[in-house]
Amino acid sequence: MTVAFGFLAGMVLVSAFGVVVSRNVVHSALFMSGSFLGVAGFFVMLNAPALAAFQVLIYVGAVTVVILFGIMFTQRPQARRYRTIINRQFWAGLLVAVGVGAFLSYVLAVEEWRSTAPGNGPRAVAQLGRDMLGVSPGAEIFALLFQVVSVLLLVAIIAAIVVSRRKVGTGVDRGVEE
Amino acid sequence: MPAQAQQVLDALLASPALEAYLIVGALMFAIGVWGALVRRNAVVIFMCVELMINGVNLSLVAFADFLPNAGGLGVSYAVLVIAIAAAEIAVGLAIVLAVFRSRRTVNVDEVTSMRG
Repeated sequence: MTVAFGFLAGMVLVSAFGVVVSRNVVHSALFMSGSFLGVAGFFVMLNAPALAAFQVLIYVGAVTVVILFGIMFTQRPQARRYRTIINRQFWAGLLVAVGVGAFLSYVLAVEEWRSTAPGNGPRAVAQLGRDMLGVSPGAEIFALLFQVVSVLLLVAIIAAIVVSRRKVGTGVDRGVEE
Repeated sequence: MPAQAQQVLDALLASPALEAYLIVGALMFAIGVWGALVRRNAVVIFMCVELMINGVNLSLVAFADFLPNAGGLGVSYAVLVIAIAAAEIAVGLAIVLAVFRSRRTVNVDEVTSMRG
């Protein structure tokens, strides 16, 4: 378990670092999917195999493909030096991020989590399904949250179509006047 | 097998503590913060926001597995978070496409027409 944990932690953190520092945007997207794959491995270790499947399907599959589409539509070939991809707050941003990471790690490490033991996760998919539908005791709120998230996804789909739709006669697309 | 080798083997086979997962999630969140602060490309900023969301998701699932009174509900919350993140990425990329159509750029520091 420790070996798998070390491998996955290295994969997640190195890939996340690669997202920030890689000069090619497509490489950033591929690093991001590697990082998400590592998180899916953590979910398997944490007794949530169904969530790991969701993670692979939604993040490694769908979100990466959508982001690659976005890159395809919006990137022009450009000289990729660090001066062009990074704004002027590089060292200040690094300072803030190191501060946030050190503070969170310190707080989480010194906190006394009483009586923790692995193995409480809903390993059976049927249990996860009952939780999501608000049937199991203590999870009644999910009956509402599930509906709200469904409506939110519908709204997001419609909003994405409306916002990105090209209105005839306004603007240019790929240099072609309409 | 000598006792020391047995000890090393036990340490390798033991399951990691709750803090280990939480620290990996916190570091992932911090790297996402760094990227969202320093990169200029809006698409990369979205990727870094997704990294932050995944770090928090990892913490939620770790709590759900390790805390006995959590009842495993953190996994259900993580499913909701994934759904909201997917909605956010869809709307966000649509906005990036709309900005690119009118401004010919996705660098966030060049889109300053609403600056006071």
